[in-house]
Amino acid sequence: MTALGKLFRTTAFKLTLVYLVVFALFAIFLLGYFALNTRRLITDQITQTVDAEITGLSEQYNQGGIRRLVQVVENRSRRPGSSLYLVTTFNGEGLAGNVGSLPDGLLSEDGWRETYYRRQEESDAVEHHALVRVFQLPGGFRLLVGRDLEEREHIYDIVIAAGRWSILVVVVLGLAGGFFVARRVLRRVDAMTETTGVIMNGDLTGRLPVSGTGDELDRLAINLNAMLARIETLMAGLKEVSDNIAHDLKTPLTRLRNRAEEALRVAHGEGDYRAALEATIEESAGLIRTFDALLMIARAESGQARDNRVELDAAELARGVVELYEPLADEKGITLEVEAPAPAMVRGNRELISQALANLVDNAIKYVACVPEKAHRDLAIKVRAVNDGGQVLLIVSDNGPGIPEQMRGKVVERFVRLDQSRTVPGSGLGLSLVAAVARLHDGELRLESNDPGLRAVIALPRADMQAAA
Amino acid sequence: MASIQNRIETMNSVLSGERQIARESMRLLIVEDDTDAAEYIVRAFREVGHVADHVTDGEEGLALALDGDYDVLIVDRMLPKLDGLSLIKTLRDKSVETPVLILSALGQVDDRVKGLRAGGDDYLPKPYSFSELLARVEALARRRGSRGEETVYRVGDLELDRLSHRVTRGKEEIVLQPREFRLLEYLMKHAGQVVTRTMLLENVWDYHFDPQTNVIDVHISRLRSKIDKGFTQSLLHTVRGAGYMIRDGGGK
Repeated sequence: MTALGKLFRTTAFKLTLVYLVVFALFAIFLLGYFALNTRRLITDQITQTVDAEITGLSEQYNQGGIRRLVQVVENRSRRPGSSLYLVTTFNGEGLAGNVGSLPDGLLSEDGWRETYYRRQEESDAVEHHALVRVFQLPGGFRLLVGRDLEEREHIYDIVIAAGRWSILVVVVLGLAGGFFVARRVLRRVDAMTETTGVIMNGDLTGRLPVSGTGDELDRLAINLNAMLARIETLMAGLKEVSDNIAHDLKTPLTRLRNRAEEALRVAHGEGDYRAALEATIEESAGLIRTFDALLMIARAESGQARDNRVELDAAELARGVVELYEPLADEKGITLEVEAPAPAMVRGNRELISQALANLVDNAIKYVACVPEKAHRDLAIKVRAVNDGGQVLLIVSDNGPGIPEQMRGKVVERFVRLDQSRTVPGSGLGLSLVAAVARLHDGELRLESNDPGLRAVIALPRADMQAAA
Repeated sequence: MASIQNRIETMNSVLSGERQIARESMRLLIVEDDTDAAEYIVRAFREVGHVADHVTDGEEGLALALDGDYDVLIVDRMLPKLDGLSLIKTLRDKSVETPVLILSALGQVDDRVKGLRAGGDDYLPKPYSFSELLARVEALARRRGSRGEETVYRVGDLELDRLSHRVTRGKEEIVLQPREFRLLEYLMKHAGQVVTRTMLLENVWDYHFDPQTNVIDVHISRLRSKIDKGFTQSLLHTVRGAGYMIRDGGGK
């Protein structure tokens, strides 16, 4: 497409064109109105003077007869100016006046006429345009008084010329202005289009140019850039998740397959097959659990579970989870206690927060149970729910092996498991899920040292404080 | 033939295990568009003595559910022509109160709540094990005209009074924690039926997530030590690969 063709298709140019037409029409109307009124004003003036003169002259005639009239007309005709006079007999023979020739039959009737005439003193000259009144005097004489219209025509011409020029100026300036504005806007939009093209081709790091003037286009660019940044983060997260899923679901799938192949190869008799099948079912159940956990983390992180939030007492949730795990801890020789003296209100999803807390307790039991007996420690886990300023803290502290400080950030990531914990069953998703649930509720998961052991804290915004704020 | 024979044997050993009570035959309708999965569960239900019909789309499912006399409907959430939830709503609007179990690939809490709000009675996320499905379907079928209204549950010489919260075995009174009481109450309500771990977690604790460690087993063994210890006849049984069942072992 040519540059001009492109220009004609831009909104800015179309708008300019519309305004141009409207403005030109307005100018034409204004000038036309002015011209017509001027013309009417001049005509009115002429009519009034001519009427007055005819009244005066007919009075002269009445008082002094035709001789007096001829004398007066002769006098007046000699004065310079645009006034026209003619006195004729009934037959049309001129008696006095400054009019040379007139169209035939003009004098036969009374009344106003616009006509062409020749002046007496300049014979064979051009015809002039005049407004005249013919008046029949008593006695058959005819009197013609008029004004040359040159003046009126002159003013009219000036107005028309002015009109032409102004329209020309309006059109030229309008076109040039529109062209300029459209070009300017067009160039910036083109730049944006070009950048988005690059971004669409896969380079999500690209950003739209911002001129810094803060106009509409800038605001648009800034918003689009913010959107791109968000998309980029989400894409990065998605890529990480899919990489992890690919890696960590393939491992158990490979194990599953190997086990089945091995059974086919070496199994003797029904017992072996049964054992292999049972192991397969167990392994697939584990896979399903991993998959469920991944889905739940993904949903929590994308904020899909934001609905269904109710006001909850975290203290009650803590008591519930401890009650669920107490027999298990007891069986392993661990004291599991809850300390939740006062209500600790949060807004959230009961299932998700309970599951997060259950994961922490579950982890604590698993790792505390690993403490070798020669350590001579009373194994203990404490779950607390406390109000702390604007936050509700759900704390699970144990005196197990803990997590080395440099690893604490790492263990929250998906599928990360400490080397020493490889022997403990688990998917490696427990803490990621806790962190995701905390983030979903606008809170966070903190891992701290309990000396010895680990203190895991889920910090959530306090619901009754939010209401007060 | 051999493979079916094998499957029946496997099924019997896995599902029935030590269970020897006569199962009442149920009529089931399965509305599921995945033909392979549906045929598998239809066969499995037949092997354990139930009658199961199968249709693949929602409209046909609705027509059959309105006409037929079924004990339980098993409805997939995503179906061609008429989705599962609309099917259930239509049924309930027409005052058809047949228990419905919803099957769904969407296993999240919100989806479950939506399913139950639409009028479903239970919700089982895919993938599920057949033993879990069977246990839940049997629990639903039994719920109709069930022991819901009885105030005293009895299994053998074990008695549970739901009003006074007293539990006795023979002449001995057994003291239970509140949660243990609810656990026993649920098991006795479904006496003679397999109750899975997830069913217990959902109905006794109201948790719908899967704890990483099997905590239910420990609760059961505590309960068992209170009600069975010192008695020659065990009432609380573990059904391998499926769950638990309370029954009067001397019944047969």
